[in-house]
Amino acid sequence: MVSKSKALPKGVSAADFDKVVREIRAIVGDEHVLVDEDKLAPYRKIMMPVPDEQHELSASVMPDGVEQIQRIMKVANKYRVPVYPISTGKNLGYGSAAPVQRGQIVMDLRRMNRIIEVDPELCTALVEPGVTYQQLYDYLQEHKLPLWFSCPAPSAIAGPVGNMVDRGVGYTPYGEHFMFSCGMEVVLADGQVLRTGMGAMENSNTWQVFKWGYGPTLDGMFTQSNYGVVTKMGMWLMPAPPDFRPFCIQYPNEADITKIVEALRPLRIAMVIPNAVVIAHTLWEAPCTPVKRADYYTGPGAIPDEAVKKIQADHSIGAWNVYAGLYGTKETNDANWKIIEAVAAGTGGKIITQEASKGSQALQYRFDLMKGKPNLGEFGLYNWRGGGGSIWFAPVSQAKGAETLKQMQMAKTILAKYGFDYVGEFIVGWRDMHHVIDLLYDRSKPEEMEKAYACYDELLHTFAKEGYGMYRANTAFAEKVAATYGPVKRDVEKRLKKALDPNNIIAPGRCGISL
Amino acid sequence: MRTRAWAGCLGVLALVTAAGSAGAGQWRDGAELYQKVCGHCHEANVGPVLKGRSLPPEYIQRVVRMGNRAMPAFRPTEIDDATLADVARRISTGAVLARE
Ligand SMILES: Cc1cc2nc3c(=O)[nH]c(=O)nc-3n(C[C@H](O)[C@H](O)[C@H](O)COP(=O)(O)OP(=O)(O)OC[C@H]3O[C@@H](n4cnc5c(N)ncnc54)[C@H](O)[C@@H]3O)c2cc1C
Ligand code: HEC
Repeated sequence: MVSKSKALPKGVSAADFDKVVREIRAIVGDEHVLVDEDKLAPYRKIMMPVPDEQHELSASVMPDGVEQIQRIMKVANKYRVPVYPISTGKNLGYGSAAPVQRGQIVMDLRRMNRIIEVDPELCTALVEPGVTYQQLYDYLQEHKLPLWFSCPAPSAIAGPVGNMVDRGVGYTPYGEHFMFSCGMEVVLADGQVLRTGMGAMENSNTWQVFKWGYGPTLDGMFTQSNYGVVTKMGMWLMPAPPDFRPFCIQYPNEADITKIVEALRPLRIAMVIPNAVVIAHTLWEAPCTPVKRADYYTGPGAIPDEAVKKIQADHSIGAWNVYAGLYGTKETNDANWKIIEAVAAGTGGKIITQEASKGSQALQYRFDLMKGKPNLGEFGLYNWRGGGGSIWFAPVSQAKGAETLKQMQMAKTILAKYGFDYVGEFIVGWRDMHHVIDLLYDRSKPEEMEKAYACYDELLHTFAKEGYGMYRANTAFAEKVAATYGPVKRDVEKRLKKALDPNNIIAPGRCGISL
Repeated sequence: MRTRAWAGCLGVLALVTAAGSAGAGQWRDGAELYQKVCGHCHEANVGPVLKGRSLPPEYIQRVVRMGNRAMPAFRPTEIDDATLADVARRISTGAVLARE
């Protein structure tokens, strides 16, 4: 008996599981397969409002290299054991490093952390799944390359491949990360290695510069899916602009969101403001300032509006806080700055420039993120309620004022019903907004966990009734979220799964896809 | 004007192929780990101050592997045992912890 796994994969006997462990150890080396419960602890920590057991892994395998992954696929097929690939494994609030279903073997690709190539002329990079944004940042600094990337808030510990395959977002002009990826290498369930786009050609040198290739473009199939293990990804880097001018515009009232969006949309679509603008609510800014909730409210239920108003006044935080930047030369930015000033004046907003932002932690980490400088300032959010419970409720909205106000009010009402605060922001894509709400609760209290689960459920279904779908979702709700997108899409996804992974071995259940 | 400013930024730079130069072993020592990971939270009002409290090294290592409420857990692929032991020792004894 080599293994004492508590959580065997569904339908796999202990004897077969032992054989699997023995065979994958022979591939990657003994020390790169973990089965003991205490060694697996870091994979088990989740923030979602469901019991840990639901997402308990059976083992972790940590390959280093494409060839090892190909061989692991063979073993997985032979015994029909499911493997759940992660890259940097910091999908906190969406499932962390735990598998979507109990018993899956996590395939941890963090050891594969090579920055394979950076081309400073074409401004591209090719990276492996284990590369973190911090590592890429340090690499560019060390080599004195004036190139920027876009990263999500947990940048110092997360990485471009994991973030991109879950279709995450960042805050520079390259903020829609999948859009700015270019070329992937994928190990399929049968062990074949597919390079997408131009990479399919033996001797092509255009893999990282032209996305589409010939025939259908397949890249999208390997995001928010379980059709392959992504082992390399190309990404576009942005030349550092000669002049970068980040700013914040604060607005005093919650209802101001309507005019903010109406005023900003034209600037964003026309690319006067080229980056992913954020419109953050007071209660997102407060914990990152940091403000303590207990200093303002200790009663039951959601924090009352009067307390929120007092926080705004005491700490110079807006009801809404718009973050954006100008990226250009001094001349172009001077010209565009006049437009920003006019828009702020016309809508009753107060501009805070980089100089004026000094000393505010909340402003500083945002300004850093808008130039792709890694930090972890946003984790201040978790000190708001305490107790380490968090799931992101993240519906897509049109970039129209009335729509955003409607979504905000719907969410706030439902959250309050369960006693939770509206901690939300809108991330402006180009014509869409990701309305991201952090449902914060105390995970050490079973009754709060139950309420958080019920609250997300009601949010999901109420929003779906109004035609609003999620941009991304946590693994506990994968099935329910997939169901809101209707039967035809799911049927096609299932047929693809059958064709590419007939033994259902890669992350079955991810995004609701399984056989 | 505009063209010149942008071009000046990128200058003459050759293709950088990073074969072997980045990745692999990753942490030089616990001080580097502290600076690149822990410090982002523990020196920034996100996590509690750790230095100067003589926290037992075993406790520090345990928190890093298990996580604790708002503190995320870190896997051995992210932080190897030796570097973790080194950072725990440094935090516990107040040894040098680099900071930018
Ligand atoms: C405070 C805070 C702020 C956040 N802010 C943001 C933000 O601004 N933007 C944002 O996008 N997210 C944000 N997040 C969510 C999340 O932490 C990031 O998206 C993070 O980048 C995801 O983790 P990762 O990069 O380590 O990916 P991973 O955890 O490695 O991957 C995510 C998922 O993708 C799949 N996957 C990963 N690698 C592969 C592969 N090689 N092949 C096939 N499938 C794979 C797996 O299903 C995996 O679970 C935030 C989280 C926190 C806690
Ligand atoms: C993303 C932010 C973050 C990072 C990165 C982080 N921590 Fe923490 N850490 C926290 C928070 C927040 C807490 C408090 C958790 C709670 O009580 O809810 C904490 C708690 C701790 C504690 C317990 C302190 C006590 O008072 O008992 C230790 C020890 C610790 N961290 C060590 C580390 C070490 C070592 C690292 C680097 C390897 C690290 N942390 C990285 C956020 C972080």
